Amino acid sequence: MNNVLKFKNKKANVAAQDEIYNFAYLDENTKRMIRRALIKALCIPGYQVPFSSREMPMPYGWGTGGVQVTSSCLTTDDVLKVIDQGADDTTNAVSIRNFFKKTANIETTETTGDASIIQTRHRIPEKQLNEKQILVYQVPIPEPLAFLEPRYQETKKMHALSEYGIMHVKLYEDITKNGHIETAYAYPVKTNDRYIMDPSPIPKFDNPKMNNNPAIQLFGAGREQRIYAIPPYTEVTSLDFEDYPFDPSKAPHKCSICGSNDSFLDEIITDDDGNRSFICSDTNYCNQRMKDK
Amino acid sequence: MEPILSVQNLNKYYGDQVGCKNMNMTLYPGEVVGVVGESGSGKTTFINSISGNLNPDSGKILINKDNEIINFLEISESLKRLLIRTELAFVHQNPRDGLRLDISAGGNISERLMSIGHRNYGNIRQTIFKWLDKVEIDKSRVDDFPRTFSGGMLQRLQIAKNLVTSPKIIFMDEPTGGLDVSVQAKILDLLRKLVRELNLSVVIVSHDLAVIRLLADKIIVMKNGEAVESGLCDQVLDDPQHSYTQLLVSSVLQV
Repeated sequence: MNNVLKFKNKKANVAAQDEIYNFAYLDENTKRMIRRALIKALCIPGYQVPFSSREMPMPYGWGTGGVQVTSSCLTTDDVLKVIDQGADDTTNAVSIRNFFKKTANIETTETTGDASIIQTRHRIPEKQLNEKQILVYQVPIPEPLAFLEPRYQETKKMHALSEYGIMHVKLYEDITKNGHIETAYAYPVKTNDRYIMDPSPIPKFDNPKMNNNPAIQLFGAGREQRIYAIPPYTEVTSLDFEDYPFDPSKAPHKCSICGSNDSFLDEIITDDDGNRSFICSDTNYCNQRMKDK
Repeated sequence: MEPILSVQNLNKYYGDQVGCKNMNMTLYPGEVVGVVGESGSGKTTFINSISGNLNPDSGKILINKDNEIINFLEISESLKRLLIRTELAFVHQNPRDGLRLDISAGGNISERLMSIGHRNYGNIRQTIFKWLDKVEIDKSRVDDFPRTFSGGMLQRLQIAKNLVTSPKIIFMDEPTGGLDVSVQAKILDLLRKLVRELNLSVVIVSHDLAVIRLLADKIIVMKNGEAVESGLCDQVLDDPQHSYTQLLVSSVLQV
Protein backbone atom coordinates (compact mmCIF):
# COMPACT_ATOMS: atom_id res chain seq x y z
CA MET A 1 0.00 0.00 0.00
CA ASN A 2 2.72 2.42 1.02
CA ASN A 3 4.70 1.60 -2.07
CA VAL A 4 1.74 2.33 -4.28
CA LEU A 5 1.20 5.70 -2.60
CA LYS A 6 4.86 6.54 -2.84
CA PHE A 7 4.80 5.67 -6.49
CA LYS A 8 1.72 7.78 -7.06
CA ASN A 9 3.35 10.76 -5.37
CA LYS A 10 6.48 10.41 -7.38
CA LYS A 11 4.58 10.16 -10.56
CA ALA A 12 2.45 13.20 -9.97
CA ASN A 13 5.45 15.03 -8.46
CA VAL A 14 3.23 16.34 -5.71
CA ALA A 15 4.66 19.40 -4.10
CA ALA A 16 1.85 19.45 -1.56
CA GLN A 17 1.76 17.39 1.65
CA ASP A 18 3.22 13.95 1.19
CA GLU A 19 0.13 11.76 1.20
CA ILE A 20 1.67 8.72 2.79
CA TYR A 21 1.77 10.55 6.09
CA ASN A 22 -1.08 11.82 8.21
CA PHE A 23 -1.02 15.60 8.64
CA ALA A 24 2.15 16.48 10.61
CA TYR A 25 3.32 12.84 10.66
CA LEU A 26 1.60 11.55 13.85
CA ASP A 27 -1.76 9.82 13.60
CA GLU A 28 -4.79 11.61 15.03
CA ASN A 29 -5.15 9.32 18.07
CA THR A 30 -1.59 9.96 19.14
CA LYS A 31 -2.05 13.70 18.67
CA ARG A 32 -5.18 13.58 20.81
CA MET A 33 -3.28 11.73 23.55
CA ILE A 34 -0.50 14.32 23.45
CA ARG A 35 -2.96 17.23 23.45
CA ARG A 36 -4.58 15.80 26.56
CA ALA A 37 -1.17 15.67 28.23
CA LEU A 38 -0.53 19.26 27.10
CA ILE A 39 -3.79 20.51 28.56
CA LYS A 40 -3.05 18.81 31.85
CA ALA A 41 0.44 20.28 31.83
CA LEU A 42 -0.94 23.77 31.21
CA CYS A 43 -3.38 23.36 34.10
CA ILE A 44 -0.57 22.43 36.52
CA PRO A 45 2.34 24.71 35.57
CA GLY A 46 5.70 22.97 35.90
CA TYR A 47 4.22 19.54 36.67
CA GLN A 48 5.66 16.71 34.56
CA VAL A 49 2.89 14.81 32.81
CA PRO A 50 3.84 11.33 31.60
CA PHE A 51 2.82 10.55 28.03
CA SER A 52 3.27 7.64 25.74
CA SER A 53 6.08 8.90 23.55
CA ARG A 54 6.21 7.48 20.01
CA GLU A 55 9.11 6.37 17.89
CA MET A 56 9.94 9.24 15.60
CA PRO A 57 11.99 9.08 12.41
CA MET A 58 15.00 10.59 14.19
CA PRO A 59 17.19 9.46 17.09
CA TYR A 60 16.36 10.22 20.71
CA GLY A 61 18.16 13.35 21.79
CA TRP A 62 17.45 15.09 18.48
CA GLY A 63 14.21 16.63 19.58
CA THR A 64 11.73 13.77 19.41
CA GLY A 65 9.77 15.23 22.34
CA GLY A 66 9.63 18.69 20.81
CA VAL A 67 8.65 17.29 17.41
CA GLN A 68 5.76 15.32 18.90
CA VAL A 69 4.48 18.40 20.74
CA THR A 70 4.83 20.56 17.62
CA SER A 71 3.07 17.91 15.55
CA SER A 72 0.16 17.87 17.98
CA CYS A 73 -0.17 21.67 17.98
CA LEU A 74 0.17 22.32 14.24
CA THR A 75 -2.82 23.38 12.16
CA THR A 76 -2.81 24.12 8.46
CA ASP A 77 -2.72 27.89 9.19
CA ASP A 78 0.39 27.72 11.35
CA VAL A 79 3.70 29.29 10.45
CA LEU A 80 6.59 27.30 11.88
CA LYS A 81 10.04 28.44 12.92
CA VAL A 82 12.65 26.01 14.20
CA ILE A 83 15.83 27.08 15.94
CA ASP A 84 18.77 25.15 17.29
CA GLN A 85 20.94 27.08 19.77
CA GLY A 86 19.26 30.22 18.45
CA ALA A 87 20.15 29.57 14.81
CA ASP A 88 17.72 28.85 11.97
CA ASP A 89 20.35 27.35 9.68
CA THR A 90 21.87 24.52 11.70
CA THR A 91 21.36 20.88 10.79
CA ASN A 92 18.79 20.07 13.45
CA ALA A 93 16.71 23.16 12.74
CA VAL A 94 16.79 22.72 8.98
CA SER A 95 15.90 19.02 9.21
CA ILE A 96 12.94 19.51 11.53
CA ARG A 97 11.66 22.42 9.43
CA ASN A 98 11.88 20.28 6.30
CA PHE A 99 10.22 17.40 8.13
CA PHE A 100 7.12 19.47 8.83
CA LYS A 101 7.22 21.12 5.42
CA LYS A 102 7.04 17.63 3.95
CA THR A 103 4.53 16.02 6.32
CA ALA A 104 2.24 19.00 6.98
CA ASN A 105 2.88 21.27 4.03
CA ILE A 106 2.76 24.30 6.29
CA GLU A 107 4.45 27.62 5.84
CA THR A 108 7.79 28.06 7.58
CA THR A 109 9.72 31.17 8.46
CA GLU A 110 12.93 32.33 10.02
CA THR A 111 11.41 35.55 11.32
CA THR A 112 10.50 35.26 14.99
CA GLY A 113 7.64 37.75 14.73
CA ASP A 114 5.97 35.91 11.84
CA ALA A 115 5.92 32.47 13.44
CA SER A 116 2.94 31.07 15.30
CA ILE A 117 4.83 28.02 16.58
CA ILE A 118 8.53 28.10 17.37
CA GLN A 119 10.29 24.86 18.18
CA THR A 120 13.54 25.49 19.95
CA ARG A 121 16.57 23.68 21.16
CA HIS A 122 18.41 25.43 24.01
CA ARG A 123 17.39 29.06 23.41
CA ILE A 124 14.54 31.51 23.75
CA PRO A 125 14.43 34.03 20.88
CA GLU A 126 15.67 37.53 21.75
CA LYS A 127 12.55 39.16 20.34
CA GLN A 128 9.70 39.38 22.86
CA LEU A 129 7.05 36.75 22.05
CA ASN A 130 3.34 37.55 21.91
CA GLU A 131 0.04 35.97 22.93
CA LYS A 132 -0.48 34.33 19.55
CA GLN A 133 2.71 32.31 19.72
CA ILE A 134 3.64 28.90 21.11
CA LEU A 135 7.21 28.12 22.09
CA VAL A 136 8.03 24.39 22.06
CA TYR A 137 11.19 23.32 23.89
CA GLN A 138 13.13 20.12 23.25
CA VAL A 139 14.02 18.62 26.61
CA PRO A 140 16.67 15.96 27.23
CA ILE A 141 16.13 15.41 30.99
CA PRO A 142 12.89 16.81 32.40
CA GLU A 143 13.50 15.92 36.05
CA PRO A 144 15.37 18.76 37.83
CA LEU A 145 16.07 16.50 40.81
CA ALA A 146 17.44 13.64 38.67
CA PHE A 147 21.11 14.23 39.43
CA LEU A 148 20.45 14.65 43.15
CA GLU A 149 17.98 11.83 43.77
CA PRO A 150 18.23 8.92 41.35
CA ARG A 151 15.00 7.17 42.46
CA TYR A 152 12.10 8.29 40.27
CA GLN A 153 9.50 7.25 42.86
CA GLU A 154 11.26 9.40 45.42
CA THR A 155 11.48 12.48 43.17
CA LYS A 156 7.77 12.14 42.47
CA LYS A 157 7.12 12.21 46.18
CA MET A 158 9.43 15.17 46.64
CA HIS A 159 7.51 17.13 44.01
CA ALA A 160 4.18 16.14 45.49
CA LEU A 161 5.20 17.31 48.96
CA SER A 162 7.31 20.30 47.80
CA GLU A 163 10.41 18.85 49.44
CA TYR A 164 12.90 20.96 47.60
CA GLY A 165 15.68 21.45 50.17
CA ILE A 166 18.04 19.28 48.16
CA MET A 167 17.80 21.63 45.16
CA HIS A 168 19.39 24.38 47.21
CA VAL A 169 22.04 21.94 48.42
CA LYS A 170 23.18 21.81 44.80
CA LEU A 171 23.42 25.60 44.65
CA TYR A 172 25.15 25.59 48.05
CA GLU A 173 27.77 23.19 46.68
CA ASP A 174 28.23 25.47 43.67
CA ILE A 175 28.91 28.53 45.81
CA THR A 176 31.17 26.58 48.14
CA LYS A 177 33.28 25.22 45.29
CA ASN A 178 33.36 28.25 43.03
CA GLY A 179 32.41 31.27 45.10
CA HIS A 180 29.31 31.80 42.97
CA ILE A 181 26.49 29.75 41.50
CA GLU A 182 28.27 27.98 38.68
CA THR A 183 25.19 26.45 37.01
CA ALA A 184 25.01 28.34 33.72
CA TYR A 185 22.39 26.37 31.78
CA ALA A 186 19.37 24.26 32.77
CA TYR A 187 19.21 26.56 35.77
CA PRO A 188 16.34 25.34 37.99
CA VAL A 189 13.24 27.51 38.29
CA LYS A 190 10.12 27.53 40.41
CA THR A 191 6.92 27.78 38.39
CA ASN A 192 3.84 29.55 39.74
CA ASP A 193 5.39 29.32 43.24
CA ARG A 194 4.87 25.56 43.31
CA TYR A 195 6.78 23.13 41.11
CA ILE A 196 10.52 23.20 40.58
CA MET A 197 11.18 22.76 36.90
CA ASP A 198 14.09 22.15 34.58
CA PRO A 199 13.87 24.82 31.88
CA SER A 200 15.75 22.50 29.46
CA PRO A 201 19.35 23.40 28.75
CA ILE A 202 18.73 27.04 27.85
CA PRO A 203 21.42 29.43 29.14
CA LYS A 204 20.43 31.03 32.44
CA PHE A 205 20.59 34.29 30.48
CA ASP A 206 17.20 33.25 29.05
CA ASN A 207 15.60 32.37 32.38
CA PRO A 208 14.07 35.83 33.00
CA LYS A 209 12.34 35.61 29.59
CA MET A 210 10.23 32.69 30.82
CA ASN A 211 8.73 34.80 33.57
CA ASN A 212 5.38 36.40 32.70
CA ASN A 213 5.80 35.52 29.03
CA PRO A 214 2.63 36.17 26.96
CA ALA A 215 3.32 33.08 24.80
CA ILE A 216 2.45 29.51 25.70
CA GLN A 217 5.59 27.55 26.60
CA LEU A 218 5.49 23.78 26.08
CA PHE A 219 8.22 21.30 26.97
CA GLY A 220 8.52 17.85 25.41
CA ALA A 221 10.95 15.11 26.45
CA GLY A 222 10.66 12.18 24.03
CA ARG A 223 13.00 9.62 25.53
CA GLU A 224 11.90 10.39 29.09
CA GLN A 225 8.23 10.50 28.03
CA ARG A 226 7.33 13.68 29.89
CA ILE A 227 5.49 16.84 28.92
CA TYR A 228 5.30 20.01 30.98
CA ALA A 229 4.26 23.57 30.35
CA ILE A 230 4.17 27.19 31.44
CA PRO A 231 0.87 28.95 30.64
CA PRO A 232 0.98 32.59 29.49
CA TYR A 233 1.74 35.22 32.13
CA THR A 234 2.97 32.75 34.74
CA GLU A 235 5.48 33.63 37.40
CA VAL A 236 8.77 31.79 36.86
CA THR A 237 11.55 32.48 39.35
CA SER A 238 15.11 31.20 39.30
CA LEU A 239 16.29 29.64 42.55
CA ASP A 240 18.94 31.49 44.52
CA PHE A 241 20.13 32.58 47.96
CA GLU A 242 19.37 35.94 49.60
CA ASP A 243 23.07 36.80 49.65
CA TYR A 244 23.80 35.17 46.29
CA PRO A 245 20.94 36.40 44.11
CA PHE A 246 20.28 34.97 40.65
CA ASP A 247 22.45 36.59 37.99
CA PRO A 248 21.52 35.99 34.30
CA SER A 249 25.12 36.93 33.35
CA LYS A 250 26.35 37.75 29.88
CA ALA A 251 29.68 37.71 28.06
CA PRO A 252 31.17 41.23 28.40
CA HIS A 253 31.30 41.78 24.64
CA LYS A 254 29.31 43.13 21.71
CA CYS A 255 28.13 41.12 18.73
CA SER A 256 30.84 41.63 16.12
CA ILE A 257 28.27 41.55 13.30
CA CYS A 258 25.36 43.69 14.49
CA GLY A 259 26.97 45.30 17.53
CA SER A 260 24.16 44.25 19.87
CA ASN A 261 25.02 44.77 23.49
CA ASP A 262 22.18 42.86 25.10
CA SER A 263 21.80 39.58 23.21
CA PHE A 264 23.20 36.16 24.10
CA LEU A 265 26.54 35.66 22.35
CA ASP A 266 28.33 32.67 20.84
CA GLU A 267 32.09 32.62 21.13
CA ILE A 268 33.89 31.80 17.89
CA ILE A 269 37.57 30.98 17.60
CA THR A 270 38.70 32.68 14.42
CA ASP A 271 42.24 31.38 13.91
CA ASP A 272 44.99 29.20 15.35
CA ASP A 273 46.39 32.05 17.47
CA GLY A 274 43.45 31.97 19.84
CA ASN A 275 41.76 35.07 18.46
CA ARG A 276 38.07 35.02 19.05
CA SER A 277 34.99 36.98 18.28
CA PHE A 278 31.48 37.02 19.62
CA ILE A 279 28.29 36.94 17.59
CA CYS A 280 24.59 36.77 18.42
CA SER A 281 23.40 33.20 18.91
CA ASP A 282 19.94 34.27 17.66
CA THR A 283 20.64 34.50 13.92
CA ASN A 284 17.28 36.00 13.04
CA TYR A 285 17.69 38.76 15.62
CA CYS A 286 21.14 39.55 14.26
CA ASN A 287 20.05 39.57 10.59
CA GLN A 288 17.05 41.74 11.39
CA ARG A 289 19.25 44.29 13.12
CA MET A 290 21.59 44.40 10.11
CA LYS A 291 18.63 44.86 7.77
CA ASP A 292 17.25 47.72 9.89
CA LYS A 293 20.59 49.48 9.63
CA MET B 1 5.03 16.88 82.86
CA GLU B 2 3.58 15.44 79.64
CA PRO B 3 5.48 12.75 77.74
CA ILE B 4 6.89 13.99 74.43
CA LEU B 5 6.40 10.60 72.82
CA SER B 6 4.15 7.78 73.87
CA VAL B 7 3.82 4.43 72.13
CA GLN B 8 0.81 2.27 72.90
CA ASN B 9 0.25 -1.38 71.97
CA LEU B 10 2.38 -1.21 68.87
CA ASN B 11 2.45 -4.27 66.61
CA LYS B 12 4.43 -4.96 63.49
CA TYR B 13 4.34 -8.27 61.68
CA TYR B 14 6.24 -9.46 58.62
CA GLY B 15 3.66 -11.84 57.23
CA ASP B 16 3.32 -14.45 59.98
CA GLN B 17 6.60 -13.45 61.57
CA VAL B 18 6.51 -11.20 64.60
CA GLY B 19 8.53 -8.01 64.15
CA CYS B 20 7.52 -6.52 67.47
CA LYS B 21 4.44 -7.18 69.52
CA ASN B 22 2.42 -5.20 72.04
CA MET B 23 5.13 -2.60 72.61
CA ASN B 24 4.58 0.31 75.00
CA MET B 25 6.88 3.19 75.78
CA THR B 26 6.72 6.69 77.22
CA LEU B 27 9.47 9.19 76.63
CA TYR B 28 9.60 12.40 78.66
CA PRO B 29 11.45 15.55 77.54
CA GLY B 30 15.14 15.29 78.28
CA GLU B 31 14.94 11.58 78.88
CA VAL B 32 16.93 8.78 77.25
CA VAL B 33 15.29 5.41 76.78
CA GLY B 34 17.49 2.47 75.84
CA VAL B 35 16.22 -0.59 73.99
CA VAL B 36 18.38 -3.70 74.39
CA GLY B 37 18.12 -7.28 73.25
CA GLU B 38 19.94 -9.84 71.15
CA SER B 39 20.08 -9.87 67.36
CA GLY B 40 16.64 -10.52 65.90
CA SER B 41 14.81 -9.51 69.06
CA GLY B 42 12.92 -6.76 67.22
CA LYS B 43 14.83 -3.70 68.44
CA THR B 44 15.36 -2.26 64.98
CA THR B 45 11.81 -3.06 63.87
CA PHE B 46 10.57 -1.21 66.93
CA ILE B 47 12.67 1.92 66.40
CA ASN B 48 11.90 1.96 62.68
CA SER B 49 8.19 1.65 63.41
CA ILE B 50 8.08 4.55 65.83
CA SER B 51 10.27 6.86 63.74
CA GLY B 52 8.29 6.69 60.50
CA ASN B 53 10.67 4.40 58.61
CA LEU B 54 8.24 1.47 58.80
CA ASN B 55 4.47 1.35 58.89
CA PRO B 56 3.33 -0.59 61.97
CA ASP B 57 0.23 -2.79 61.68
CA SER B 58 -1.58 -1.46 64.71
CA GLY B 59 -1.06 0.66 67.79
CA LYS B 60 -0.72 4.33 68.59
CA ILE B 61 2.18 6.74 68.45
CA LEU B 62 1.45 10.09 70.09
CA ILE B 63 3.89 12.95 69.67
CA ASN B 64 3.60 16.08 71.76
CA LYS B 65 4.47 19.06 69.60
CA ASP B 66 4.20 22.33 71.49
CA ASN B 67 1.44 20.93 73.72
CA GLU B 68 -0.47 19.59 70.76
CA ILE B 69 -0.81 15.81 70.65
CA ILE B 70 -0.22 14.45 67.16
CA ASN B 71 -1.28 10.93 66.30
CA PHE B 72 1.72 10.03 64.18
CA LEU B 73 0.09 7.12 62.38
CA GLU B 74 -2.97 9.03 61.29
CA ILE B 75 -1.56 12.28 59.95
CA SER B 76 -1.04 13.00 56.26
CA GLU B 77 2.11 11.92 54.48
CA SER B 78 3.21 15.53 53.99
CA LEU B 79 2.85 16.44 57.68
CA LYS B 80 4.58 13.20 58.61
CA ARG B 81 7.55 13.97 56.41
CA LEU B 82 7.66 17.54 57.70
CA LEU B 83 7.78 16.20 61.27
CA ILE B 84 10.51 13.75 60.28
CA ARG B 85 12.52 16.65 58.84
CA THR B 86 12.02 19.04 61.73
CA GLU B 87 10.92 17.46 65.00
CA LEU B 88 12.46 14.02 64.63
CA ALA B 89 15.93 12.79 63.76
CA PHE B 90 17.25 9.35 62.96
CA VAL B 91 20.88 8.38 63.44
CA HIS B 92 21.64 5.23 61.46
CA GLN B 93 24.08 2.58 62.56
CA ASN B 94 25.91 2.96 59.26
CA PRO B 95 26.48 6.70 58.74
CA ARG B 96 26.62 6.11 54.99
CA ASP B 97 22.88 5.39 55.12
CA GLY B 98 22.18 8.80 56.61
CA LEU B 99 24.57 10.93 54.56
CA ARG B 100 24.93 11.92 50.94
CA LEU B 101 28.44 10.81 50.10
CA ASP B 102 28.85 12.87 46.93
CA ILE B 103 27.93 16.10 48.69
CA SER B 104 30.39 17.96 50.93
CA ALA B 105 30.20 17.74 54.73
CA GLY B 106 28.79 21.27 54.87
CA GLY B 107 26.22 20.48 52.20
CA ASN B 108 25.08 17.46 54.19
CA ILE B 109 24.58 19.54 57.32
CA SER B 110 22.80 22.28 55.40
CA GLU B 111 20.18 20.07 53.73
CA ARG B 112 17.71 20.04 56.60
CA LEU B 113 18.12 23.79 57.06
CA MET B 114 17.34 24.55 53.45
CA SER B 115 14.44 22.12 53.40
CA ILE B 116 12.74 24.24 56.05
CA GLY B 117 13.35 27.42 54.12
CA HIS B 118 16.74 28.87 55.07
CA ARG B 119 17.93 30.88 52.07
CA ASN B 120 20.87 32.91 53.32
CA TYR B 121 24.18 31.32 52.36
CA GLY B 122 26.19 33.29 54.93
CA ASN B 123 23.92 32.34 57.82
CA ILE B 124 23.76 28.71 56.71
CA ARG B 125 27.56 28.64 56.59
CA GLN B 126 27.75 30.03 60.14
CA THR B 127 25.35 27.37 61.42
CA ILE B 128 27.39 24.65 59.71
CA PHE B 129 30.58 25.84 61.42
CA LYS B 130 28.80 25.99 64.77
CA TRP B 131 27.71 22.37 64.39
CA LEU B 132 31.06 21.11 63.13
CA ASP B 133 32.51 22.65 66.26
CA LYS B 134 29.87 20.98 68.44
CA VAL B 135 30.62 17.53 67.07
CA GLU B 136 34.36 18.19 67.16
CA ILE B 137 35.11 18.05 63.45
CA ASP B 138 37.80 20.46 62.31
CA LYS B 139 36.36 23.46 60.45
CA SER B 140 38.85 23.00 57.64
CA ARG B 141 37.04 19.79 56.64
CA VAL B 142 33.78 21.60 55.86
CA ASP B 143 34.12 21.33 52.08
CA ASP B 144 35.50 17.80 52.01
CA PHE B 145 33.43 14.87 50.88
CA PRO B 146 32.22 12.43 53.55
CA ARG B 147 33.98 9.58 51.75
CA THR B 148 37.29 11.08 52.85
CA PHE B 149 36.19 10.89 56.51
CA SER B 150 37.01 8.16 59.03
CA GLY B 151 34.24 6.00 60.52
CA GLY B 152 34.07 8.00 63.73
CA MET B 153 34.04 11.32 61.90
CA LEU B 154 31.27 10.08 59.61
CA GLN B 155 29.15 9.20 62.62
CA ARG B 156 29.76 12.62 64.17
CA LEU B 157 28.87 14.24 60.86
CA GLN B 158 25.64 12.27 60.74
CA ILE B 159 24.80 13.45 64.23
CA ALA B 160 25.44 17.09 63.25
CA LYS B 161 23.36 16.69 60.09
CA ASN B 162 20.46 15.43 62.17
CA LEU B 163 20.64 17.87 65.04
CA VAL B 164 21.05 21.05 63.01
CA THR B 165 17.31 21.81 62.96
CA SER B 166 17.06 21.21 66.73
CA PRO B 167 14.74 18.20 66.58
CA LYS B 168 12.99 17.28 69.82
CA ILE B 169 13.18 13.49 69.55
CA ILE B 170 16.25 11.61 68.37
CA PHE B 171 16.17 7.96 67.36
CA MET B 172 19.50 6.15 67.28
CA ASP B 173 19.98 2.66 65.94
CA GLU B 174 23.30 1.30 67.25
CA PRO B 175 25.07 4.65 66.84
CA THR B 176 28.40 3.19 67.94
CA GLY B 177 28.16 -0.17 66.18
CA GLY B 178 31.17 -0.97 64.05
CA LEU B 179 33.43 1.59 65.69
CA ASP B 180 36.52 0.70 67.71
CA VAL B 181 36.30 1.21 71.46
CA SER B 182 38.20 4.49 71.75
CA VAL B 183 36.16 6.08 68.96
CA GLN B 184 33.04 4.60 70.56
CA ALA B 185 33.96 6.29 73.83
CA LYS B 186 34.40 9.61 72.05
CA ILE B 187 31.02 9.36 70.33
CA LEU B 188 29.31 8.36 73.57
CA ASP B 189 30.96 11.25 75.35
CA LEU B 190 29.74 13.60 72.63
CA LEU B 191 26.22 12.19 72.69
CA ARG B 192 26.01 12.49 76.46
CA LYS B 193 27.18 16.10 76.26
CA LEU B 194 24.65 16.98 73.53
CA VAL B 195 21.79 15.26 75.35
CA ARG B 196 22.48 17.32 78.49
CA GLU B 197 23.24 20.57 76.68
CA LEU B 198 20.27 20.54 74.31
CA ASN B 199 17.87 18.68 76.59
CA LEU B 200 17.25 16.06 73.90
CA SER B 201 14.80 13.22 74.23
CA VAL B 202 16.38 10.08 72.84
CA VAL B 203 15.40 6.52 72.01
CA ILE B 204 18.57 4.51 71.56
CA VAL B 205 18.82 0.93 70.40
CA SER B 206 21.90 -1.11 71.20
CA HIS B 207 22.96 -4.64 71.93
CA ASP B 208 25.76 -3.17 74.03
CA LEU B 209 24.68 -2.88 77.68
CA ALA B 210 27.60 -0.58 78.47
CA VAL B 211 26.38 1.96 75.92
CA ILE B 212 22.88 1.86 77.35
CA ARG B 213 24.08 2.10 80.92
CA LEU B 214 26.15 5.16 80.09
CA LEU B 215 23.43 7.06 78.22
CA ALA B 216 20.00 5.80 79.19
CA ASP B 217 17.70 6.71 82.06
CA LYS B 218 15.16 4.00 81.33
CA ILE B 219 15.55 0.67 79.63
CA ILE B 220 13.38 -1.76 77.69
CA VAL B 221 14.64 -5.34 77.29
CA MET B 222 13.33 -7.11 74.20
CA LYS B 223 13.23 -10.76 73.26
CA ASN B 224 11.41 -12.42 70.34
CA GLY B 225 9.68 -9.17 69.46
CA GLU B 226 8.32 -8.48 72.94
CA ALA B 227 9.38 -6.35 75.88
CA VAL B 228 10.24 -8.79 78.66
CA GLU B 229 11.32 -6.22 81.20
CA SER B 230 11.44 -2.45 81.52
CA GLY B 231 12.20 0.15 84.15
CA LEU B 232 14.91 2.47 85.40
CA CYS B 233 18.21 1.63 83.77
CA ASP B 234 20.29 1.14 86.93
CA GLN B 235 17.55 -0.81 88.62
CA VAL B 236 17.03 -3.25 85.78
CA LEU B 237 20.72 -3.78 85.15
CA ASP B 238 21.63 -4.14 88.83
CA ASP B 239 18.69 -6.30 89.77
CA PRO B 240 17.40 -8.06 86.68
CA GLN B 241 14.14 -9.96 87.28
CA HIS B 242 13.47 -11.74 84.01
CA SER B 243 15.68 -14.73 83.27
CA TYR B 244 16.63 -13.34 79.86
CA THR B 245 17.73 -10.02 81.37
CA GLN B 246 19.77 -11.94 83.91
CA LEU B 247 21.43 -13.86 81.10
CA LEU B 248 22.07 -10.64 79.18
CA VAL B 249 23.63 -8.89 82.18
CA SER B 250 25.78 -11.85 83.06
CA SER B 251 27.00 -12.20 79.47
CA VAL B 252 28.79 -8.87 79.50
CA LEU B 253 32.52 -9.38 79.21
CA GLN B 254 34.53 -7.97 82.05
CA VAL B 255 37.89 -6.49 81.28
